[in-house]
Amino acid sequence: MTTLAHIPQLLVYGVISGSIISLGGIGVSLTYSILGFSNFAHGDFMALGAYIALGLFTLFTGLGIPSAPFGPLSFGFGFILAFILAIGLTALAVIIIDRLLFRQLRRSGPIILMMSSIGVALGLRNILQFFWSPQPHYYSQAIQPAVSVTALNIRIKPDQVFIILVAIVLVVLVHAFMRYTKMGKAMRAMADNATLAQVTGINTDRVIIWTWAIGAGLAATAGILAGIENKFITPELGWQMLLSIFAGVVLGGIGNPYGAILGGMVIGISEEVSTAFISTGYKPAVAFVIMIIMLLVKPTGLLGRKD
Amino acid sequence: MSLLTVEKVTSGYGDMEVLHDVSIEVKPQEIVTIIGPNGAGKSTLMKTIFGLLKPILGQIQFADHEITSLSPDRIVRLGMAYVPQVENVFPSLTVRENLEMGAFIRNDDFSDRISEMFELFPVLGRRGRQQVGKMSGGERQMVAMARALMLNPQLILLDEPSAALAPNLAEVIFERITAVNETGVAILIVEQNAKQSLSLSDRGYVLAGGRNRFAETGENLLANEEIGQLYLGG
Ligand SMILES: Nc1ncnc2c1ncn2[C@@H]1O[C@H](COP(=O)(O)OP(=O)(O)O)[C@@H](O)[C@H]1O
Ligand SMILES: [Mg+2]
Repeated sequence: MTTLAHIPQLLVYGVISGSIISLGGIGVSLTYSILGFSNFAHGDFMALGAYIALGLFTLFTGLGIPSAPFGPLSFGFGFILAFILAIGLTALAVIIIDRLLFRQLRRSGPIILMMSSIGVALGLRNILQFFWSPQPHYYSQAIQPAVSVTALNIRIKPDQVFIILVAIVLVVLVHAFMRYTKMGKAMRAMADNATLAQVTGINTDRVIIWTWAIGAGLAATAGILAGIENKFITPELGWQMLLSIFAGVVLGGIGNPYGAILGGMVIGISEEVSTAFISTGYKPAVAFVIMIIMLLVKPTGLLGRKD
Repeated sequence: MSLLTVEKVTSGYGDMEVLHDVSIEVKPQEIVTIIGPNGAGKSTLMKTIFGLLKPILGQIQFADHEITSLSPDRIVRLGMAYVPQVENVFPSLTVRENLEMGAFIRNDDFSDRISEMFELFPVLGRRGRQQVGKMSGGERQMVAMARALMLNPQLILLDEPSAALAPNLAEVIFERITAVNETGVAILIVEQNAKQSLSLSDRGYVLAGGRNRFAETGENLLANEEIGQLYLGG
């Protein structure tokens, strides 16, 4: 009975964690469908974004840019500015990595690309450790009280509401971009058939740049939101979430960004709710088991294509 | 004056040569058909012309440009379009989105061109918002052709437009091809079973074993007994 009483609260944690996993998963899914490989550096793009935000925030605080918290939130103008700039800078950094590395290997096939992404993952993590050490860094040391919603039997912090709202807004923006803009349609076209896209005259190199920019921008957002939720960040932050992210992507149907959103949410919720029944230490195993079951039962995922 | 000239082209995949010394020509506003058995190298020729494969030897000219080693996205800008034999539409996009992709390099308003395509292929006009992956083979072929026509090309390459279609549908497709040609577009078709295609062609070529065998008017090819027996099913 006490276990079941916890479930509404665990659902809240699951939605928060699922929001972050989903934002990470969209990028993995886009890279897979448009560039044709599993990007193991995606988690480290998240960490990169989180540290760029930290660096900028520290800089802004030093420059005297106001950082008094907005209302009940734990952060203010300076942090939001750092947040937004970090999204852009992470996208830029990832585009540069593509120009220097992935573009040169584009013709070498998915295995080479995947392996080089593991190299990028390790390289980025080492750079972050070099500049910031492997120790945790804090976005905020303040303790934020949670608000009780008695009717639902849950407690939630204003920062957590912020995380969920940011995820919803970004998912809607990504949807609108993919659905209604010329570049979004070209991304879907290239995911369908890259050769035909080239034959049609679509500027496939520009599509690739946009794919990285969107994936990396969402990764940075996910990394920063994870930092807000946990209060601290470490260079391992993204790498540790990568299994959950991949599980979400596979569950939803690899190559389908909507599947990544749905799958990420299911993984986040399953991991949190599982702690009512089994030890917290098994969270990663929950994601792994769900992924394996999906691969055995329906490899194309919940929303995957038939072909 | 010739629009497309393929001169003694040798081409293939990696070290494997599929085409040997192939030469063909298309003049402005012509319909030209290349026939040949399965595996003759017809699709390979199309891919080589359109820059998806680099010729090992030989030259290709199009509309006064040397295009021998240009990439497909450059060739499309010169006024040539290509409809591959398979996977020639974007299945998860709607009909209208497929046509929009056909006009990707245009930055002006091309809604007039979409309307023209919907007039040329009325079936599509009624189903602009339908996802192409859910359409029939004949409808997909029309989407593919309309997509390729979006940039007002001078020449369009059609790789087996009637393959895998029921005879009555193939007839509809060929009738549409004639209509496209009447708007001034030259057409190069490759076909396996090509009676229908040859009968509406100005000229035809036979490709077998990766080499040119015959080059004739469409009528003469149809009338030729040897070709009839070898390539047109008697
Ligand atoms: N992608 C490919 N890689 C290697 N060989 C190929 C490829 N595509 C076709 N071939 C070979 O090239 C030859 C000609 O094929 P193709 O041009 O498709 O013939 P056709 O279109 O006339 O039926 C065949 O022997 C075929 O096996
Ligand atoms: Mg063929």
